[in-house]
Amino acid sequence: MTDFVVAQFVGLSAALLGIGLFGILTRRNFILLLIAIEIAINAAVLNFVYFAGFATGPGGVSGQAAAVVIVGLAATEVAVGLAIVLALNRQRGSINVAEATTLRQ
Amino acid sequence: MSLEELAFLVLAGIAIGTALAALLVRELVHTILWISVFFVALSAIYFLLQADFLGILQLGVYAGAVTILLLFGVMVTRKRIFSREAATGIGPFPLALALVSVVILAGVASGLPTQPASVQTYAPAMLSQELFTTDGGWLVLLGLTMLSALAGAIYLVREGRE
Repeated sequence: MTDFVVAQFVGLSAALLGIGLFGILTRRNFILLLIAIEIAINAAVLNFVYFAGFATGPGGVSGQAAAVVIVGLAATEVAVGLAIVLALNRQRGSINVAEATTLRQ
Repeated sequence: MSLEELAFLVLAGIAIGTALAALLVRELVHTILWISVFFVALSAIYFLLQADFLGILQLGVYAGAVTILLLFGVMVTRKRIFSREAATGIGPFPLALALVSVVILAGVASGLPTQPASVQTYAPAMLSQELFTTDGGWLVLLGLTMLSALAGAIYLVREGRE
């Protein structure tokens, strides 16, 4: 049985979420945006895993089950995101999200 | 400070450093190399928390599949894969928003207990029991989402679409 401090884990998640948010708001390359979203999602998954670990009682394992589902969803999101990257690259020759303005009036 | 706590602090430092490096370097291929180190560090944290199944899942799905998918995306969208990104100015608003969110979450974290607590270990059999009985609906939903994502991805990249 190993011992950990809860606050350190929440601090790590907070830092990773901040880095992810920063990347989402500043980068203009679609692939970098996907990577920043992955960092933010991983911060959330980390929360599920360690609160499952610190839970008392038999229901804690559902936190790990939620983490499995989120990892699957994040992988799906990357696959669809890359399909959008390929379509964008074919239509415009660039994957800069600032140039994708077809729907703008 | 126990050995496990020290290992966690080192891994957390690696995770934060590689995540920052991934978003700040100018070459996209270097970004993907850094992000793969980030995924491996997170999977090591899962092993440290005795969530072995999730650690293996993280290694297989993220460090394996997602990294290769991203590399493939870089490979097919540029003529020279080591070309540099144009520098983008970092405005004060995104930086401020990210900092504010970190400060709020750090405030929440400071209210949590600072006494070391023991971590519960779950056997993979318990996790599969949970996934296929109590939380079975989520697994079915995940499968349906993946199926529709597959159809959507094929629709987006099919030939002859203007």
